[in-house]
Amino acid sequence: MGLMIACPNCGADAVFRSAALPCRICDYCQTMLVRSDDGVRAVGEAAVLPFDVSPVTIGMRGMADGIGFQVIGRVRWAWTDGAWNEWLMLLDDGSHGWLGEAMGQFMLLREAPLKTARAKVLRDVINGGEAVPGTAAEIGGVKMHVADARDVLCIAAEGELPFTAPPGWRVYGVDLKGPGGECVSLQRDGGSATFYTGRYVTLAELAPRGLRRFDGWSLPDYAG
Amino acid sequence: MPAELDTIAPPPAPAVRALSCPACGSAVTLRAAGYSVTAGCPSCGSILDVADPLVKLVTRYAEMTRALDIPLGTRGTLDGIEWEAIGWLARSMNGSYPWEEYLLFNPYHGYRWLIFDGQSWSLGEQLTATPNFVTYDTLSAGGRQYRRFFKEREARVDAVLGEFYWRVAIGEQVITSEWAAAGWTLSREANAKEVSWSVARLLAPREIEDAFGVEAERHPWPPPPHMVSPHAGWLSTCVKLGLAAMAFLVVVSIFMGGGRWSDIGTLPIARDGSAQSVTVGSVTFGQPWQRVELRARVPGLENGWVDLDYALVDRSTQRVYEAYGVAERYSGRDDEGDWSEGSRTSEISIASVPRGTYDLVIDYRGNRWIANNPGSWGQSDWLATSDAPEVVVEVRRGGVFFSNLLLALILIAVPLLWGLARHVRFEQARQAESDFDPIGVAALFKESE
Repeated sequence: MGLMIACPNCGADAVFRSAALPCRICDYCQTMLVRSDDGVRAVGEAAVLPFDVSPVTIGMRGMADGIGFQVIGRVRWAWTDGAWNEWLMLLDDGSHGWLGEAMGQFMLLREAPLKTARAKVLRDVINGGEAVPGTAAEIGGVKMHVADARDVLCIAAEGELPFTAPPGWRVYGVDLKGPGGECVSLQRDGGSATFYTGRYVTLAELAPRGLRRFDGWSLPDYAG
Repeated sequence: MPAELDTIAPPPAPAVRALSCPACGSAVTLRAAGYSVTAGCPSCGSILDVADPLVKLVTRYAEMTRALDIPLGTRGTLDGIEWEAIGWLARSMNGSYPWEEYLLFNPYHGYRWLIFDGQSWSLGEQLTATPNFVTYDTLSAGGRQYRRFFKEREARVDAVLGEFYWRVAIGEQVITSEWAAAGWTLSREANAKEVSWSVARLLAPREIEDAFGVEAERHPWPPPPHMVSPHAGWLSTCVKLGLAAMAFLVVVSIFMGGGRWSDIGTLPIARDGSAQSVTVGSVTFGQPWQRVELRARVPGLENGWVDLDYALVDRSTQRVYEAYGVAERYSGRDDEGDWSEGSRTSEISIASVPRGTYDLVIDYRGNRWIANNPGSWGQSDWLATSDAPEVVVEVRRGGVFFSNLLLALILIAVPLLWGLARHVRFEQARQAESDFDPIGVAALFKESE
C-alpha cells in the first residue's frame, strides 16, 4: 500500500503513503515532491482512488466451505468511478471459484449454468437489456434486489485465469444481494453471458494464510 | 452505454515533480497562518506564486486538511480494530442539515464511516445483506428492528478530501432514507446505478474521544434519531422499584393495620367535674415497635367535654409514653335551626411504642359548657342528667399512619413523574425530527392540534 516513486532530484525512493497526498519531502535531498498526475488534481472537489490496498495476494491460502483453496489469479475491473478485484481460487477438489473484493467486502462466487438465471431481470440483461437498481427478483428461492448495474472495464490481470482478460475488455455487469448475504453476479460480454452465485463472506471466515503485509499495519488476529 | 464506456479509464500513471525555490533553488516548506497556507523558501524568504498549479495543489490540500476535526492519516481504535481516517466528505440535504463523514480504513478489515452530525458521532458500516420489511414501517437488518424515521430526500456532496473507494465528487447526489433503532440507524442510499444499505452505531462521547481525540456533545439537543433516552434506563428500573415499594407499603399498611379494639376500662365520671385518675392494665404489645391507638367514648356527652391525659408506663423500664385527648360535643338551636358539633369519641395515637407490658394511667375530668344564654334553649347539664356518666376506654395496636403512607407514596411518585416528564420531553424532541408521526410516550402526550 503506497506509491513508491523515485525522486526526480536525487533518485532516492520516496513513498507516498496515501493516494490523496499531493506532496511530500524527499527524505534524502529535502526537495518537495509534488504529484503531477491527474490522480490528485481535484483537491477538495473529487476524491482519489486508493492505491491497490487488497490484503489478498496470489499464493494466499484459505478454507471455503470446508475445502482448502489457493489464490492463483486476479482480474481487476474498473467502472467510471472505482475499481474492484476478482481473485481466482483453485480449490483442493480441483474446482475453481472466485473471491470478489469490492469496497473492502468479499464475495465467494462460483460459476452457475446460465440456464439457472431464470429471473426476468436476469433474462432481460442476457438478452441485451439493462437492469434497474432496486429491482426485486427471486433467485434460487431467495428474494434478491439489484444492488448495482453498470458497464465495467478490465484494467489488469495477473496469474492464471480460465479465460484471457485483456486490459480494455468491456462487459456489462449486474449484482444482486439477498437478505442473508446471498449474492449473484451476471456479466454480459457482447452476445454471451456468465452467471455467478454465492454469498458474502468475511476474510476472517476464510481462515486466510499468507495475507499480504503492509508497512505500518499489524496482521489481524484471524491471520494465524 | 458506449458513451459512458469511453469515460472508464485505468488510473493515471503516477508521476511527481520536484518543487524548489525559483529564486535560490532551496527546498520549499509550507507555512501556516491561521487556516491559510503558503509555500515558501526558508533560505531566501521567497513566497511561491499561488498561481502555479503545483503550489495551488499543495497549499489547497494543506489548508483543507488543517480545517478538519480529524486530520487525514490519523489512526484510532474502535471496537478493538485500528482505523486510519483516509477521506472526508461534507454532505447536506441540498444545503440544509449539513453533516460530515470520514472514511476509515484498515487493510484487513475494510472500510467504515465515521459520521458527525455536528453534535454526536456514529460508526457506520455498509451492509452485505439487504434488510427485510417486517411491517410497512419497520425493517429488520442484522437481527435488529428499525422504524422509519426520515423519508426519502436528496443528499449532496458539498466538499471532499482524500481517498475513497469510488471517485466521489462535489455535487454527487443520492436519494437517502433512514430508519432508527435504539442506538442504531439504518440508511438506504440510491442513485441510478447503485443501491446500498448501511447501519451506524451511535458512539458514546467517551469512545470517540478516546479513539480520535475529538469532542462529542454530552447532551445533544435535539437528540439524534438513534439516541436512547438517558432517562429510559433508570426510569424503567425506578418505576419497577417504585411500584414494588408502593405495593409493599400498601400491603404493610393493610397487614399492619393493627389489631382489634379491646376494651380496657369503663371509667365513671364525677358529676361535680373534679379531676380523676385511674390506672388500668396491663396492656401488652408484641411487635418490636408499634403505634398505639387509644379511643375514648363518652355516650352521654352533650354540651361538655372530657379531658383525657394518657400515660403508658412500661412495667419493666418505667418509661412513659404520654398523649392527650379530648372528647367534646356541643349542640343547640339558633336562627338557622338545630346545630351540633364535635364528637362523643376521642381517638388519639402514640407513635413508636416498643414491645412490652404497660400500665395505662388516665387522668380525666368531665366539663360543662355554659352557653351564652343559659336556659333560653332549655340546655341540659349532661353530668347531671345522664345516668351515671362514664367514659369507655379502648386500646389497639395501630397500623401505619395513613398520612405517613400518603406522604411516602408521594415521595416515591414525585421523582418518577419528574423522570417521566423528562423522558417524554426527550422522546418528543427526538421524534420531532422525524418525518413520521411520533410513537410510544411521545405520541401519548402529544398535544392535539
